[in-house]
Amino acid sequence: MTANVSPDTTHLEVRGLTKSFYGVRAIDSVDFDLRGGEIHGLLGENGAGKSTLCSVLSGLYRPDNGSVLLDGEEVQFRSPQESANAGIGMVYQHFRLVDSFTVAQNIVLGLRRDQRPSSMRQVNQLVAELGEEYGLPVDPTAAIWQLSVGEQQRVEILKQLFRGARVLILDEPTAVLAPRETDRLFEAVTTMVERGHAVVLVSHKMAETMAYTNRISVLSRGRNAGSVTTADTSPEEVARMMFGDAAAAVRTSFGASATVGDLVLSVSDLQVMGDKGQVAVDHASLDVRRGEVVGIAGVAGNGQRELQEAIAGLRPITGGTVTIDGTDCTSAGPKETKHAGLAYVPEDRLGVGLSPGLPLGHNLALRSFDRAPHSRRGVLSQSSIDATTDHLVAEFDIRGNRTGMRVSLMSGGNLQKAILARELSEDHEVLLAAAPTRGLDMAAADAVRGHIVDERQNDRGVLVFSEDLDEIIHMSDVVAVMFKGQIVGVFRGDEIDVDEIGLLMTGSDSMHGVEIADLYPTEEEPEVSS
Amino acid sequence: MNGLTSRFRVSPRGFASPLVRFGVPFLALIVALIIGGLILAMAGNNPFEAYRTMFDTSLNGWSAMTRTLALATPLILTGLAAAVAFQMRVYNIGGEGQLYIGAIAGSWAGLALPPATPAVIMLSAMLVCGAIGGALWALLAAIPKAYLNADEIITTLMLNFVALSLMNYLIFGSQSFWRDPKRTVPGGKRLPDAAIMPSLSGRLHIGIIIAVVAAVLLWWLLRKTSWGFQIRTIGDSPSAARYAGMSVRFKTLAVLAVSGGLAAIAGVSEVSGVTKGLEPRSLATDIGFTGIIIAVVARSNPLGVVPVSIFLAAIATSGSTLQSIGIAVEVVFLLQGLIFLTVTAGEFFVMNRLEFVSPEPSGDSIPGDTTDLPAGAT
Repeated sequence: MTANVSPDTTHLEVRGLTKSFYGVRAIDSVDFDLRGGEIHGLLGENGAGKSTLCSVLSGLYRPDNGSVLLDGEEVQFRSPQESANAGIGMVYQHFRLVDSFTVAQNIVLGLRRDQRPSSMRQVNQLVAELGEEYGLPVDPTAAIWQLSVGEQQRVEILKQLFRGARVLILDEPTAVLAPRETDRLFEAVTTMVERGHAVVLVSHKMAETMAYTNRISVLSRGRNAGSVTTADTSPEEVARMMFGDAAAAVRTSFGASATVGDLVLSVSDLQVMGDKGQVAVDHASLDVRRGEVVGIAGVAGNGQRELQEAIAGLRPITGGTVTIDGTDCTSAGPKETKHAGLAYVPEDRLGVGLSPGLPLGHNLALRSFDRAPHSRRGVLSQSSIDATTDHLVAEFDIRGNRTGMRVSLMSGGNLQKAILARELSEDHEVLLAAAPTRGLDMAAADAVRGHIVDERQNDRGVLVFSEDLDEIIHMSDVVAVMFKGQIVGVFRGDEIDVDEIGLLMTGSDSMHGVEIADLYPTEEEPEVSS
Repeated sequence: MNGLTSRFRVSPRGFASPLVRFGVPFLALIVALIIGGLILAMAGNNPFEAYRTMFDTSLNGWSAMTRTLALATPLILTGLAAAVAFQMRVYNIGGEGQLYIGAIAGSWAGLALPPATPAVIMLSAMLVCGAIGGALWALLAAIPKAYLNADEIITTLMLNFVALSLMNYLIFGSQSFWRDPKRTVPGGKRLPDAAIMPSLSGRLHIGIIIAVVAAVLLWWLLRKTSWGFQIRTIGDSPSAARYAGMSVRFKTLAVLAVSGGLAAIAGVSEVSGVTKGLEPRSLATDIGFTGIIIAVVARSNPLGVVPVSIFLAAIATSGSTLQSIGIAVEVVFLLQGLIFLTVTAGEFFVMNRLEFVSPEPSGDSIPGDTTDLPAGAT
């Protein structure tokens, strides 16, 4: 239909693309090129700009600067529809399907009358043929809700192929798949490139990227960090491109840790289930001592959130133990873990750390409202809450509050300061901080890091989780790497090696003797060669 | 160019001043009365005369006031019942049924105790019995909600019909303890004098005092105690509440029990102060459902429930007299609906500020640009 150019000639080129959000450059002068017949891996840390680049290509965002050339002609997409009409198809990690519609109905949904056969029977047949052709078998008359996740993904891909997509962008397609479904997906992707389609594989996973792509481009902090032919590179080199600038982070800027003291938080052989009943934390063990900062590095979604919640008493533990300052907190709730000495800065600031629709004072009293001086025999003392609020606002430099204003109208930096103020002002022995600087501007992030590292001087322990490897390396005395729910490496002080941490984060083989086979499903030898 | 393209911008208000919080609903009320007046005028009636008549019969003078307050009494209580649940974003639609259960349980106490029991003890026993009955009835919905996350809107709503059928069965379908065997037309046994709430003036009985005290007490509980602190936190963000160590499950049970208890006290107040026996026909007048409307209009504030109830009662009281000047009673429901609509719509202006922006000279701003967000931060 719309694809009047043969796929083989497809050549997508991106030149100097820049897109800012609120003054922050999500991508900055990015170049990228893609040819028909190749699988091009697009790698980068969280927030490196991969999604923004894909969103520009799929017509969701309009770039501030730079150009997109399709077969040598400059194109400007003002909507996803225009991008689709030009032959670019995006398969999102979270499917965009109507559960109660059939496969074929979903595939033609949104197409004009002249873009599709008039009878549903014909559509069914076309979809079935297309599925057979590309090795994406699926029953066109089945309703979406009846299909497995892998089958739903096939529908998404078929939807794009049906619309004549020559360029397919797959956003972390294996994140939701079981190992066998992953194999089938890559078989189909291989068929597509054999037929001249171009595929962009957005991924965090080193193994599949090395195995299936022809070329790899890496983004780091919104900029190009290198582009290589897969056959000529090694996981080490790619990891260095992804995390390379972390090596430049000045580890010593916070000074060496004070004398390291007793164990204050101990997680031993912990097992925790995720929301969907999967194993999220898999026999993880780690120790935090007084006077040290332990940082957990890892790509988001590798069990960090579940581990945090399990330590804090918000998620049931199915195996192993958690001990906080000598108290067994394995089956404790959030009140008990706090009582045992845990200060907890959760990942989700508004909604977990703070109650968004309530005033600052209420939120600062959130964890101590039921004790003196805030309440006596169940009666609140508003004057005590107000006094604490005034005191903490001054001490932690929380700005932008007005009496009675709901806290959600304050800026991210001030929200985080408010949470820290509350958590650090109450008795505690160890601080658990998750993504403490995410989304904050430089000044606010520095202030937050300062507060966290100060804990060490006060002879307390700190466990910090962050997707920003720089930050982890910058702040931590000990770095542990989390991948697929396991702690796959622990590095102390001078042993901290950015290259190796980067490899572990992406699930690559490690020099510390962690078997890759345990972490990642076995794969056939790469069938695609350049 | 300039006139047509001028736009206005909506931004959330951080904090609504008392002027805004009370001024906007008042303006909304005026708007409702104006729209109602236009409809009356279109139907050929004189809206000024209609409103004058309504005012005279419901609010002008002590005897008019007592009629209105008598009608407002159960409304305040069912309004509070809905308000306390709404504070926690639990939607108890079952006030109607809980009221019936309160009437059944309360009248049981009044009939079961010896008629010579002192009035104070008698009335206290009825209130306690009724409240317990209503609380237990609400727990029928609260327990599935707390333990299985069953939608309380459905369960509380369905239980209304069960409660109504139960009450009808006790009087019309069986020779129950409540039914007066001597009456040929089925009806409830008359309560002994000690079980009847003393009149303050005309139809107005001490139930109004109970209702107002309940409103103040509930306000105090919600604003000034750690129990209320938890209810408000859970209502705003259950996940923040869990993080703070609050038991959402237990509070769900507690709040629905309190809510059911309050609606049931409305039932006791009606059966003891108005019908003076279990009379299903006179009790089933949608008092529970009206309470929901009252709570919404009062923004779930217990102290707001009192004036809103009195106002709605005033409109209802004036309904019968409207007929005498040739206006259909339906106007009452029309006005109630209009007020509900304008006040809830006015809420938008309480939460948001509206600014008029003159059009920008250059055309470089793309509509919807401000809604762009970073790409999910991957």
